[in-house]
Amino acid sequence: MIGETRKSPGNGPMSVSEIEHELGKLRANDDGTLALRSSVLNLIVVTDEESAPEVTRSVSNLAGRYPARAIVLISDPDDPNPNVDAQLSAFCNVRGGGGAQVCAEQVTIHAEGPPAGHLESLAGPLLIPDLPVFLWYPGAFSPHSPEFAAMSDLADRVILDSAAREDREDSLREIAALVGRGGGPAVGDLQWVGLSPWRSLLADAFGSPERAGDLEKIASAEVLYAPGGECRALLLVGWLASSLGWNPKGLERDGGHRRVEFDGPSGSVAVELSPDSPDARLRRVRLRSPEHTFQVSRHREHREVKTTVMRGEELVAERTVHLGHFDLGVLVGEELQFRGRDETYEAALRTAVEVIDL
Amino acid sequence: MADTQALQNVLRDEGRLPRVPDPGVVVIFGASGDLTSRKLVPALYELASERKLPMEFAIVGISRTEMSHEEFREKLRGTLEEHVSGGVSDDVWESFSSGIFYLAGDSKEPETYGELKDFLRDVDSERGTRGNRAFYLSASPSLFSTIVENLGEAGMNEGEDGGWSRLVVEKPFGRDLGSARDLNEEIRRHFDEAQIYRIDHYLGKETVQNIMALRFANGIFEPIWNQHYVDHVQITVAEDIGVGTRGAFYEEAGALRDIVQNHVMQVLCLTAMEPPVAFDAESVREEKVKVLKAVRPIPEDEVEDYAVRGQYTSGWIWGEEVRGYREEEEVDQDSVTETYVALRLFVDNWRWAGVPFFLRAGKRMPKKATEIAIQFHSSPHTPFAHQDTEGLEPNVLVVRVQPEEGVSLKIGAKVPGAGFEVSSVNMDLLYGTAFLEQAPDAYQRLLLDLMLGDPTLFIRADEAEGAWGILDPVMRRWAEGKKVEFYPAGTWGPEEADGLLKRDGREWRRP
Ligand SMILES: NC(=O)c1ccc[n+]([C@@H]2O[C@H](COP(=O)([O-])OP(=O)(O)OC[C@H]3O[C@@H](n4cnc5c(N)ncnc54)[C@H](OP(=O)(O)O)[C@@H]3O)[C@@H](O)[C@H]2O)c1
Repeated sequence: MIGETRKSPGNGPMSVSEIEHELGKLRANDDGTLALRSSVLNLIVVTDEESAPEVTRSVSNLAGRYPARAIVLISDPDDPNPNVDAQLSAFCNVRGGGGAQVCAEQVTIHAEGPPAGHLESLAGPLLIPDLPVFLWYPGAFSPHSPEFAAMSDLADRVILDSAAREDREDSLREIAALVGRGGGPAVGDLQWVGLSPWRSLLADAFGSPERAGDLEKIASAEVLYAPGGECRALLLVGWLASSLGWNPKGLERDGGHRRVEFDGPSGSVAVELSPDSPDARLRRVRLRSPEHTFQVSRHREHREVKTTVMRGEELVAERTVHLGHFDLGVLVGEELQFRGRDETYEAALRTAVEVIDL
Repeated sequence: MADTQALQNVLRDEGRLPRVPDPGVVVIFGASGDLTSRKLVPALYELASERKLPMEFAIVGISRTEMSHEEFREKLRGTLEEHVSGGVSDDVWESFSSGIFYLAGDSKEPETYGELKDFLRDVDSERGTRGNRAFYLSASPSLFSTIVENLGEAGMNEGEDGGWSRLVVEKPFGRDLGSARDLNEEIRRHFDEAQIYRIDHYLGKETVQNIMALRFANGIFEPIWNQHYVDHVQITVAEDIGVGTRGAFYEEAGALRDIVQNHVMQVLCLTAMEPPVAFDAESVREEKVKVLKAVRPIPEDEVEDYAVRGQYTSGWIWGEEVRGYREEEEVDQDSVTETYVALRLFVDNWRWAGVPFFLRAGKRMPKKATEIAIQFHSSPHTPFAHQDTEGLEPNVLVVRVQPEEGVSLKIGAKVPGAGFEVSSVNMDLLYGTAFLEQAPDAYQRLLLDLMLGDPTLFIRADEAEGAWGILDPVMRRWAEGKKVEFYPAGTWGPEEADGLLKRDGREWRRP
């Protein structure tokens, strides 16, 4: 991977065509030929000065797997002096014998003062035509932020992290409202993506036809999560409830601990969500039917998860598998592969919000 | 049954979560062998570890060597690390291997099958595998029909309690048309075609599947993919390695049986086939079979005009001197076994009438390369002065399967400067790099498809026979003659192969 940075030649901001020209030059080989650009998407990232280095790192990691034009917008609307400056870099993967290179490009734009309220005017002209546009907010996000409406018009899909804000319940409410409004871009949530393996494992636990019937008879559930991980836990419960036809009835809170009462197909379902130790974002999910206990749990120090199915004290089935790697790049990468609306997520989110609004 | 199960499990979010097969057992014949420990079990381990297999899953291995379950597990564990890409976790292995069992038995003895049947019932009740079984024939090919017959006699050609039974047949599928037909007949006495999965692991490769994606997901190639625009097609499957320690095996096989009948013919089919109506097993395989049927038969008395057989002598590869085929271990000093084959074929249908397909496959070529080159007609008229177009060649579209997957297109462009000099430029698109996702190993893909019951990437009976049928005259002719053309290791084959193309003014490309 070769990374190279270019700043405005001379003073003043670069024009769009200068940026395109410079990006082209970054792909030039020593002999003057141009390395090929293969790109599958546009990725717009909105972030702030503080998070910019980490975000840039994730973007360059992603570039290897999802060659993209990334436009990283570092916005500071409170700065009294209006200013825009751009930085360019290309990450080229050298492939095979011919020295052929494939490059992904990144344009980093600092926008200060009033221009920060019109980020769409900066990102729009730099998008590669004909490719989908993903808009990623790695940090705190609110659909009420001044630039969001115009930015979301550019995007096919918005990637958020519902847990990035302190007031996580509000964050879920706002995202649900955004999704509910319809007409806008599809929404993806990194907290939800992180649940995929857990959802898959829970589904597997009921994979045997004898046990699939237990899904209608679940009477209680428990979710243990790391402090700060309630979005994930609530989405998981929202997913169970919306898939299994449970309607929220009542909520009791005791510190971080929540106890939710649902109306299920075979009577009431009691669900407990409790913060646990911080070293696993989700520690354990346990479902009980009159006959069986289904549990997916993670060992403290390991990357593996264990599924068990018990009938009373008897172990009926057991399995250990890899949970997979879940750094930021992987989570975002998963979202970049998904196109269109994720209706399962939307239903889970709606139910999660019904729960917190009880 | 599968359907009701899917309906019941409302947690299975098919939009986003991978499809997981029904519960089931994979029974491997040839369990103490090389393929089992090098490919099959590592692929199954990785699938399990990545949550792609159901919880209710088991492997039962059979061969003659006496071993306990535990010894079998240890043997597999011992070499697992070398063959999986992601490393092995002790916890995952422990959980996975608790579903691995071993049964010592001779595949020729009917008692073995009675024991197996009982054993599988126990596995069903212990592991919840629900009577679903896939029998994997990884013993030597001479045992294939015996095993199939015994499975049939023992009633294992049907799953238990309404479960399914599937049969996987490793390569080679026969050694000529006659034996392939016999084998098909014997297998079909006991199993229906829909239960049979004939392996050509080439089809499990992501890059080979991509040939279909390139052709049928892009509107711009199909209109020019025919005799109006195409002058000829060259398919190359080259390896740089020699026969290594497999000399004895290779003496029996030769390149025609080892590579051409299966891999090269598959690439030919994917290149020449009509667009299938749907990407399902019957539609895709139907179109492939049509190609094989359309290939003009090679007259047995004119084989020399259509086929060249070559054998490598000593030479240099990548800075290293290597010995000739006849000096390899367990190879006859006067062997005429081919390590190189070149063929000139015609696909006599509307699309390809008159377009020659040149196919070559060989060992000890300068490098490993698999590619399909579509050479287009020259432009019918150039408005530019003759001397200006000297550097201009006809357009060539190359679909590269290995090593760097991609397409390249050779186009004419103006050389900067005064006048109108035009020259050829190669445009390379390594589309493989657009998705650096690690492609799963071919066996992983195929084993998963097997468990899911999707035979699209497996060979149908008529496909196997069709491919053998094309080569049969060549094999008969070569079996009589004792002549083989030599080429030094590290070159692109014998001179005679150039002759195949020269007759109509064409030449092999350098891949
Ligand atoms: N290895 C490869 O890379 C490769 C590649 C492509 C295709 N294949 C095909 O895969 C198959 C297996 O190849 P391999 O390389 O694994 O062969 P291998 O190492 O020679 O293994 C043959 C297996 O068959 C067992 N066996 C032989 N006679 C038996 C009998 N009468 N009853 C029960 N078991 C018997 C042997 O075990 P015991 O001696 O203990 O009985 C051994 O486990 C062959 O069809 C081969 O053509 C292999």
